[in-house]
Amino acid sequence: MSQIPSIAIRFVLFAFIQVIILNNLELGWGVYAMLYPLFILMLPFEWGTVPLMIVSFFYGLSIDAFSNTFGLHASASVLMAYCRPAIFKVYAPRDGYENLDNMSVSSLGFNWLLSNYGTLLLIHHTWFFLLESFQLNEILLILRKVVLSVPLSFLISILVQFIFMRKRGG
Amino acid sequence: MMNFSTFAHIQFLSTTSDINGTIMSWRNDVDKHFYLEKSNQKLRNENRWLRARLKQSNYQEERGKVLIDDTTYKRQYTYIPSTVINSTYDKRNNYMTIDVGSIHGIKQGDGVISTAGVVGVVHLVGKHYSLVKTVLSKDINFDVMMEKNGAFGLLKWDQKAPTTVQVIGISTDVYIKKWSKVVTRGGSGMFPKGIPVGIVSKNKKIEGKPLWDLNVKLATDFRSVQNVYVVKNNMLDEIRQMERSIPEDREEE
Repeated sequence: MSQIPSIAIRFVLFAFIQVIILNNLELGWGVYAMLYPLFILMLPFEWGTVPLMIVSFFYGLSIDAFSNTFGLHASASVLMAYCRPAIFKVYAPRDGYENLDNMSVSSLGFNWLLSNYGTLLLIHHTWFFLLESFQLNEILLILRKVVLSVPLSFLISILVQFIFMRKRGG
Repeated sequence: MMNFSTFAHIQFLSTTSDINGTIMSWRNDVDKHFYLEKSNQKLRNENRWLRARLKQSNYQEERGKVLIDDTTYKRQYTYIPSTVINSTYDKRNNYMTIDVGSIHGIKQGDGVISTAGVVGVVHLVGKHYSLVKTVLSKDINFDVMMEKNGAFGLLKWDQKAPTTVQVIGISTDVYIKKWSKVVTRGGSGMFPKGIPVGIVSKNKKIEGKPLWDLNVKLATDFRSVQNVYVVKNNMLDEIRQMERSIPEDREEE
């Protein structure tokens, strides 16, 4: 329960960075930087799939409300939350996830983040852009958006971790 | 031809709700200062154009003749000015939030124009804010026509560039020159006839079909649009009523 305040802070902080800054960052070629998936990654590790998906749904919905996407973000978030436990299991560190109370770069290392968060971001972005277009004849455009957006989202997430999350986790 | 979401409650999950709209207008209070000069320039240009059409600026050539009686003209369209507080241009469907809503008489389906040309159509209406679906959207389907010869087609967007849209459905029987002007047709009653849309930037024939593949460079620059007008058609109900009375097509034997 002690994690609730920090979760709430992240909820508001990431949502605000997303809708006030990143949503207005239009770099061309359909690049769309998304920070808010980091919130789903950093939810407590011991949570089951169902609470993860419920929280992610409402988180995505609140991003939707500010970007006029009517459920796109909610859908992608729920999928990402659903995949999180499986991805964590696939890329588990050698000695497991014992005595970890926080998901952050400092506590788990960069390689772990790259493989886990990278995969989850890829799933999230692919789903998001596929649903956004909903037309397979635009597949090249969709792929371009995914390929360009994932690295940018990843980079911004790491920067945010270094700026705001330094004291925790270590 | 326009599809609207019929769920009224979806409105609170968009930037038209009071809370979200307020937050977005705070953001815009900061943002708009970067566009001040450009916006002013656009409004000045429009003023110049409007002033040139005022009665006072026309020289009366034939004195003694009766001036056109104003009652012969009834006002069909009214324009409600508003400010864009949030907008996108590089998503698949691009919306903008404007700071007028149902208390100003905005209704779903009203047309929206900028000082330069067509912008879009009102999609959702909140109390103080409304959401405009811009022409940079998947199924926008505005009916537009060539200013010169009146050939008409449908407006589409292939999402490749926020400055260019496509017009489909014009037969190659009529020749369409590059750089010819595209304007609204006014068919659905959303816009007056002849509001600029853009100019043809590419005219090619679709292979194997007698149709044009036209690219149109938009008159409105969606990357910097700040001031828009909502077009209200005061005779829309009459038009709709009349259209409803058209009997539906039946398959003939």
